[in-house]
Amino acid sequence: MSEKNGAQVENESSEPISRRKVLAWLTSMGILGSAIVTIFSNLVFIKPRATYGQPTRFSIGTPDQYPPGTRIALGDQKVAVIREGNKMCAISITCTHLGCIVGVAETGFACPCHGSRFDQDGNVTGGPAPKPLPWYEVSLAPNGELEIDKGKEVTAGKWFTV
Amino acid sequence: MKTRLALALASIAILVVHGMVFYQQFFHEWETYQKSYFKQASTLSKNEAEKAVLDSRSPKIEQIMVTQFGNARVDRCTTCHIGSDDPRFKDAPHPYKAHPYSEALGDKQVNGKWERRHKFADIGCTVCHDGQGRGLEEFYAHGEDEFWTEPMLGYVVQENWKPEYQKKLKGKEFMQANCTQCHTENDFASTPLVNKGRELFITKNCYGCHRIEGVSNGTLGPDLSDVGKKWKLDYIYESIVDPRANSKTSFMPQFKLTEEETKALTVFLKSRRGFNFAETNLDRYRAALDKGHVETSKPPTTDTNTENADKGDTTEATTSAPSTSVALGQTLVDQKACAACHKIGDKDGGIAPDLSFEGLMRDDKWVVAHFKDPRALVPDSIMPAFSFSDNEYQAMSAYLMSLTQAPAAASAKENYQNYCARCHGDKGDGHGMIATYLDPYPRDFTNAGFMNSKPEDRLIKSIQEGVGGTSMPAWKNVLNEEQSKELLDYIAKTYTKQKRQNIKPKSVPEKNPVAMSTQSNARGEQIYLQRCTGCHGRKADGKGANSLDILPRPRNLLNSEFVNSTSDKRLFESIMYGVQGTAMPPWVDYGLTKNDVGDLINYIRSLNQEKNKLMAANFVKACH
Amino acid sequence: MVYSMSKKSQKKSFLSAITEFPAAVWSSVFRNPLPHTDLGRSRTSFTNFFLHMHPVKVHKHTLKPFFTMGLGLMSFFLFLILVVTGVLLMFYYVPSTAQAYDRMLDLRGSVAFGVFLRNMHRWSAHGMVAVVFLHMCRVFFTGSYKKPREFNWVIGVVLFLLTLFLSFTGYLLPWDQLAFWAITVGTAIAGYAPVVGDQMRFLLLGDTTVGQEALLRFYVLHVAVLPLITTVLIGIHFWRIRKDGGLSRPDEADKVETAEAVVPLEPALAGAGAMAYTASGDIDFIEKKKYGIQGLVRGPFTKVGNVPDNTVYSWPNLLLAELFVFILTVLGILVMSYFFNAPLEEPVNVMHPPNPAKAPWYFLGLQEMVSYSAFWGGVGIPGIEVLILLLVPYLDRGKEGVGKWFAKERLLANTLFMTFVVVNIILIIIGTFFRGENWEFASPF
Repeated sequence: MSEKNGAQVENESSEPISRRKVLAWLTSMGILGSAIVTIFSNLVFIKPRATYGQPTRFSIGTPDQYPPGTRIALGDQKVAVIREGNKMCAISITCTHLGCIVGVAETGFACPCHGSRFDQDGNVTGGPAPKPLPWYEVSLAPNGELEIDKGKEVTAGKWFTV
Repeated sequence: MKTRLALALASIAILVVHGMVFYQQFFHEWETYQKSYFKQASTLSKNEAEKAVLDSRSPKIEQIMVTQFGNARVDRCTTCHIGSDDPRFKDAPHPYKAHPYSEALGDKQVNGKWERRHKFADIGCTVCHDGQGRGLEEFYAHGEDEFWTEPMLGYVVQENWKPEYQKKLKGKEFMQANCTQCHTENDFASTPLVNKGRELFITKNCYGCHRIEGVSNGTLGPDLSDVGKKWKLDYIYESIVDPRANSKTSFMPQFKLTEEETKALTVFLKSRRGFNFAETNLDRYRAALDKGHVETSKPPTTDTNTENADKGDTTEATTSAPSTSVALGQTLVDQKACAACHKIGDKDGGIAPDLSFEGLMRDDKWVVAHFKDPRALVPDSIMPAFSFSDNEYQAMSAYLMSLTQAPAAASAKENYQNYCARCHGDKGDGHGMIATYLDPYPRDFTNAGFMNSKPEDRLIKSIQEGVGGTSMPAWKNVLNEEQSKELLDYIAKTYTKQKRQNIKPKSVPEKNPVAMSTQSNARGEQIYLQRCTGCHGRKADGKGANSLDILPRPRNLLNSEFVNSTSDKRLFESIMYGVQGTAMPPWVDYGLTKNDVGDLINYIRSLNQEKNKLMAANFVKACH
Repeated sequence: MVYSMSKKSQKKSFLSAITEFPAAVWSSVFRNPLPHTDLGRSRTSFTNFFLHMHPVKVHKHTLKPFFTMGLGLMSFFLFLILVVTGVLLMFYYVPSTAQAYDRMLDLRGSVAFGVFLRNMHRWSAHGMVAVVFLHMCRVFFTGSYKKPREFNWVIGVVLFLLTLFLSFTGYLLPWDQLAFWAITVGTAIAGYAPVVGDQMRFLLLGDTTVGQEALLRFYVLHVAVLPLITTVLIGIHFWRIRKDGGLSRPDEADKVETAEAVVPLEPALAGAGAMAYTASGDIDFIEKKKYGIQGLVRGPFTKVGNVPDNTVYSWPNLLLAELFVFILTVLGILVMSYFFNAPLEEPVNVMHPPNPAKAPWYFLGLQEMVSYSAFWGGVGIPGIEVLILLLVPYLDRGKEGVGKWFAKERLLANTLFMTFVVVNIILIIIGTFFRGENWEFASPF
């Protein structure tokens, strides 16, 4: 009886094995693919599409609210709005060293945490800061209000003409 | 091998389903809208920089966080309505269309350019429009989901709303209800519907029954101070046009309102949210404190009119007039909106009795007492007790007493139409125009069983002297005995129809043979509990478990006015031999003896004596 | 020379270490290549953490698909799905009355896959309640709770109660009208328990009414306390299955069968098993096993005496079957979640209960009974039912009818249990579909 079984195995081995291989391959592909999709979807799930903090793109009002010579920090949005004549720009006030909020003065920016100093355009003049303060894109929305997009940095010195 | 095949198939199936799920999550309508907007705006842009900015934008969820108005709101509406603040898109189709500018919203034109009064970045969208700010699909965002309590006001009607209301509840004017959340002034020009609704709330006498903070203090109906927060438009609308649709036990009358008036009231009520953005918690607390203060310190004789604060001018004018004059009474009756329910002259609310010749029916004392507490005299009246001053009551009573001009007496038929039909109905079946609002219900003259079981002189007495504790007044000043008789004949001929039989004399004592005593009362109570509670109720108020299925309704035995004006003899007759044409059975057939009935009558009378004493005490207190 | 030779033999060249790196990692993780021999199959089971809870070999009867219908496994896989989706949902959920409902809206609106994961979690939870119950029915109708499996049945009943409680605590979390009033009604039923009822309710709600405290408590119970207890008990439940001799089977199953008799086994494997069996010589082999470690294991698995071996290797027979159940379970939940959204009703309004306010469906049988008698329906009868369920293996002393569906010998027990099942299901159906406003009888059609 055992012999018979063994013979059966021998006989059937060649053809069904290959079919079995195909099935095994399909099975594992199905499961593997599903697993990859699942893992990827869960990563997508975990990444918020909308956050509850300040939006990166926000309106700061009409240009008239910022007369020439303005240099003010908007605390909530963590950005300094600067206007010189007809030109405006928005410079980050988050220190590039370790993320403290820098103070805004006529002469430039100074960080209270580790003494980094920046000039009026945000370039490093002293202290441990590795990079100049980034400039953000300023644009005029169709409703006549200025918009700042913190999601988009522009090269320092690229002023927005009102 | 079969297992492996099944396994392989299942694995492939699961991969496919995963793929479907994955795909489903990556298609969003709003992305299409945003992309299309960027493209359109890009072609409209004036310079290269602007164009570059637009071209570099990619779709993302836009949101406005609004913190100034109550709970923090997250409005993601601009994700689809991305051109809402872009004037170039003012004629574009939805959802790109720009929000219009309007003077009524406070927008101003400066140098040819419009400036918004309500900045979207501060206010968001749902503060004015309602809807679900967090939703990103139209169905949810606009509040079409029946489970969302705030569908876009005036724009969205939910599917489960009654079809006949759906059309009526559309229109941007409904949004005025939300303007009022901040603009609480009574005469705010941009919310005409709210203002009109507030006025109607007074003139249609809603204030008599309903409380609304800062407007009225009624206690008979539900408090409506935050009705707009609790209910959607359709429910408010339905409750006005058909009060019993949502609450079967409601006795709120169906007021005669035009479509426009109903709409104004709906908008006004929708604007009642309990708490409005214009006030702080401290404001509310102060107001609550002050109100209590005013009420407790109000001297009963001075003429303060807190109810009609927004009609201040007229009130002041009238207070300076002599306080008991008929003229003052007339103004007050006018102003307090009595005619919203009652008929006075040619004004008819169609809900309550005719007061056009009240001077002939009731006396001054009755009217004043009735004003103070309608239920003390007609226990099941739906008329609310108004908290006016005594002077006002006197004046209004004086005015009513001056109304003594009844329609000229004519044929019995005309008399019936003039005097009886309002309650007893044109067909004499007791279903008159105002019958629904009367309790006890007007007598049904077509009920021959009852009509013919009572001797004629008793019926004439009812006409002549009225029935105590009910809305049936004494007509003796309008109809003399002869006319009453003619009227009764007319009724018998036209409505009762059946011939009157001779009434068998029944052996009934004239006076209760059982002396009033605590023992007798106790025995009476026992019998009452065993035999009577099913219909007359545990409290003897006529509202027993079976009472709803019985017409005419079981008598309210706490109706002192009625019980005290009814002789022992009549009570004996009704209990022992039943009342024909009603559900009251002849208890003599069910084993009650004369003495039992005597005990019962003593018990019922004792209930009303106590009540009487209480009432008298109240009355004395009120007069002092 | 010798030194360098031995060094060579001890240490591979750097290059070969690099090329063999993937294989080395594989074997360090899985220890064995895919097995092709019986030794390999056994070793796979022994050395793999995830497989070590399986026996090396299982009885053919166990693999019959319609004997167990995979219900127990299905419950376990549903539990796994619930754990995974639940943990993911925790990333966005805030157990606060002010925020919970808004977070539900966000899951539906702004979070990718949010609504889908919520659906999965919801349907798996409902599914688990149903499947665990069916699993219990299976165990009863096949008489599988009898000695030596009595205690595992008790654990199973406790697990069923835990499942109900897990589902119930999760029901409140969306903080919508459905949740709020279902929990209000549900905890009110608990309040009818004599003596401790009110205290129990107070303890559960952390307040006299359902509010912020209740939400927080239910959250903690739902995400930490109950899953932990459930996990431990599931572990014990599994361990006991093996220690109590695997799944139940009738005595006949151990008789010698012809090759094509019962299970549609993999021919190769069946053959291989038989070969190994004969190769070592029939009787001797079994005699030898008498002194093996298996001798410690109770139950009919121990090969003492002349018992023919009707077992097959777990790898791959059992594993494939398990995989199949897993895929079917996940597939079912995915499809369900794809087509049906989990309900989300109005935000909580404590002044306006819906009419009728219903408990979750699995408690509607209770609610239906409560409508007749508060104490007996809410506490008395269910309490007795649970007590009887717990005691069943100790009350039922018959030894017959193990491992067979609806065995004739167990007619009385099966009839009683069937009555219990049918009555409960009917009550649930009445409560769910036939109760309208004011809990009055209403036709669903």
